[in-house]
Amino acid sequence: MLLRTRIAVTFFLLVAAVLATALAVVSAANRHNAEREVGRQLDVGARVFMRAMETNREQLTQAAQAVAADYAFKEAVALRDTDTLASALQNAGSRLGAAVEVLTTLHGRVLAASGINIKPGMTFPLARLLRARGVQEGNSTIMVADGRIYQLVAVQVRSPLPVAWVVMGFALDTKAARELAAPTALALTMSVRSGSVWTTPITTVPDGGARRGELVTRSITLVKRPRLEVVATLSRSLTAALAPFERLTRVLYLIAGASLVGSAFAAFWLARNITRPLRQLTDAVDHIRGGAYDVPVSIHRRDELGVLAEGLQVMQRAVSTRDQAIRRLAYDDPLTGLMNRTAFVEALTAALGAASAGPVAVALINLHRFKRINEHLGFAVGDAVLVKIAARLTAPPAAGAAVARLNADQFALFAHLPPGADATAWGLALQSRLAEPAVVHAQPLDVHATIGLATAPADAAVAEDLMRCADLALEFARREKRAFAAYLPTLTPSARDQLSLLGELRRALDADELRLYFQPKWEISSRRIAAAEVLLRWQHPARGLLGPGVFLPFAEQTGFIRQITRWTLDRAAAQGAAWQKAGVALPLAINVTVDDLADTGFHLSVARALEHHGLDPALLTLEVTESGFIDDPKQALRMLQALAALGVKLSIDDFGTGYSSLSHLAHLPVDEVKIDQSFVRQFEADPEVAAVVRSAIDMGHRLGLRVVAEGIETESAAALLGGMHCDLGQGFLIAKPMPLAQFESWLRGRDRVAALAVPAARADVAGASGSRRRRAIKVFPA
Amino acid sequence: MNRRRSIRAALAPAVVGIGALLCGAGGVRAAPVTVQVTAGGGAPAVDAVVVFEPRDRVPPPAHADAIIDQIHKRFVPHVTVIRTGTSVTFPNSDRIRHQVYSFSPAKVFSMKLYAGSPKRAVVFDKPGLVVLGCNIHDTMLAFVLVVNTPYFAKIPASGTASFDLPPGRYSMRVWDEALAAPVPARPVVVAAAPLQLSIALDLAGTHDPVAAWP
Repeated sequence: MLLRTRIAVTFFLLVAAVLATALAVVSAANRHNAEREVGRQLDVGARVFMRAMETNREQLTQAAQAVAADYAFKEAVALRDTDTLASALQNAGSRLGAAVEVLTTLHGRVLAASGINIKPGMTFPLARLLRARGVQEGNSTIMVADGRIYQLVAVQVRSPLPVAWVVMGFALDTKAARELAAPTALALTMSVRSGSVWTTPITTVPDGGARRGELVTRSITLVKRPRLEVVATLSRSLTAALAPFERLTRVLYLIAGASLVGSAFAAFWLARNITRPLRQLTDAVDHIRGGAYDVPVSIHRRDELGVLAEGLQVMQRAVSTRDQAIRRLAYDDPLTGLMNRTAFVEALTAALGAASAGPVAVALINLHRFKRINEHLGFAVGDAVLVKIAARLTAPPAAGAAVARLNADQFALFAHLPPGADATAWGLALQSRLAEPAVVHAQPLDVHATIGLATAPADAAVAEDLMRCADLALEFARREKRAFAAYLPTLTPSARDQLSLLGELRRALDADELRLYFQPKWEISSRRIAAAEVLLRWQHPARGLLGPGVFLPFAEQTGFIRQITRWTLDRAAAQGAAWQKAGVALPLAINVTVDDLADTGFHLSVARALEHHGLDPALLTLEVTESGFIDDPKQALRMLQALAALGVKLSIDDFGTGYSSLSHLAHLPVDEVKIDQSFVRQFEADPEVAAVVRSAIDMGHRLGLRVVAEGIETESAAALLGGMHCDLGQGFLIAKPMPLAQFESWLRGRDRVAALAVPAARADVAGASGSRRRRAIKVFPA
Repeated sequence: MNRRRSIRAALAPAVVGIGALLCGAGGVRAAPVTVQVTAGGGAPAVDAVVVFEPRDRVPPPAHADAIIDQIHKRFVPHVTVIRTGTSVTFPNSDRIRHQVYSFSPAKVFSMKLYAGSPKRAVVFDKPGLVVLGCNIHDTMLAFVLVVNTPYFAKIPASGTASFDLPPGRYSMRVWDEALAAPVPARPVVVAAAPLQLSIALDLAGTHDPVAAWP
């Protein structure tokens, strides 16, 4: 049951019980009072009745005495003048309305009578009593004659001795009974017993007015003789006596009913008054449980509930404060004091959700070479750099902006842009802020930042999506080796595309849709073919021939690159073995990714491929990008050593662009470095780049490595590289990548370097090119 | 009511002597007769009246006077015995007035309201018991016993009345106001010898003085 119902019902029942008790008590008291009142009335009535009888007696006595004392009457008695006596008696009796006037001898013989059917000479009914002095002079007695009841008084006639009785009486008939009962509002009943038979000749109880059981009675015995008994009974109807009390009781019941209804409303109101704030408090608690601490508890009362509400508010504030502290711990980056990713995403969500949101730009900032700073200058310096960068990003503070450090060398930043502002300009401004070297311990340190930018709502509306867009832009910038890139929709392979791309890639492997393309490498000095790099194309059934840029980055992201690498390895080994068997031993290079190096069983796969196809390991070169060493250099080193042990050649791809330190390079079991095409393209125009290229070539040679230049597009570049004693060259000048058949026909008739001679050149750096040439064992037939 | 009409007469031995015969023979010496009357318990029945009526002759009427005074609203004496024909005077010694009356058959009379001495006396000319009352004062009561014989007496405090009766035959009658019924007349023969009689009255019943003297 609800608290409200419980309170209301309890209250209501309590009031009902009190009212019921009160009514019961009042009813009982009323009945008691009525009975007592009736008893009192009967007492009074009895007294009044007796008093009336006494008055009758006195009146009768006086009248009788008056007659008896009259001298003339005495004379008439002496003379036995019957008629005179009768008239005298009647005269006296009629004055007071007496019903009976009789004169008898002392022995009860009637001398004269009036008002009653008795003749002189008869014996008066009460003769015996009179004779026996049973009637005292002046006392009244009761006589029943002819069914009528009389109250009689007898007085002696003295002359001067008693000579006769004057008897005078009233009839106790119905009329007299009414008169007797009138002053008391009681009913009077006269009962007579003659012998043993009771009769009730007179009653003023209304016929059927009151049932017998409801009458309260008081009996007065007027006379009790062996043969005669007369009882006067006063009665009162209890129902009638209760009537006024019952009116009062009815009023009380009305009041009780009204009180009950009123109390029901009051109980309901009271209960609601209690439970409504309780419900509000419950709601407030629910809010707090849900983590909303800023919902005000709007209960303003002076009672206990008010105190409770106030306490709840205090508690709410305390919890909120603690929650913020915990949040700070959970959301902040302890080093820089910036937000962490979680907090940043939340803040960004809030910023995007703000009603007044204009465009919001998000920048993801990646620090190049930060790992190197940590490695070479120590974590203290690295941390100091991070703090400085953080300070630059947060200054000047901007409203509606936030800065976070997402992980070791990645920051994120968002800001509200003024309407119409150019997000790219903002991004470039940010870049320029980060361009200056960070000065730590008075030592300037170059920190190169790559920035990916995305803008809401143009690019995405949701924080996570916006972050992803920025991330894609960052990824794009890194891939393109640019410092800054803004997001473009084309960067996002839609989820559907990606899923289908993955599926298609799987199918492509199964359906042999991938194609090996071959790009030949020159021996620059002789312009003879020394090797070839195996590249991939996808002969897509619908989209036609696709370059590696379309699917390889995606394959790298999804890890599918491993299958592709193994597939490529297998096919390249098969092709190489086929050529080897045909007597055309052409070293083939395939690209190996970070993922492959991280695969601890990779070298076994390589060994199996070599063995399976019977390819001379020396004919296989694995090109590893510098970035392959970054994540786990030790594992990478272990893998390279294992691969080297197989006898395959190892090459550092994109040399000069990554982080590979020369010191590392010296200890790597590699055979070759490839100078990145970005250098090759620029070095003709830029003497400094040319110097870098020259140094790189020299250094490679000094380490006993073969040096390959990529991206040779012009004769002049080729000549220049030749002047620098670069060993091999690769580029459009020589040939674009070609499918197998075209490559084979292209190759036909051209000079080739004896590939297998290459390892022997390691010891003799100076005469490397010459010895390689000498060791060429076979040339493609023309 | 236990009304015993027996009268216990304790008579001394009645002696009828020759003397009585002599007396009866005419004018000779009377014999002394004493009568003792007692009430219940042997107490003297004061004011009881004893009357001897000669049975063999009629005494000649005699005119006499008597006085019944009224003092302090009482008749004095209370009981008076007179011979028939006696005139009685009713002086009023009180300062208030009285009205003496009688409804007794022997003498019905009523005097007007008076004070002092009345103008005339009342002659009681018939034998019988006359009850006197005062019309104004109901408590005033007196008895006048009118008899036809000269031989009567009221019992004094001693309880014994004395007579000198000529020899002869008499009826002795006794009356008391406290009697309920008449005492039967007793025949008494008086000779020359003294006679001592005694009688005990039963006064226990309802007093009916009128009935006691029929």
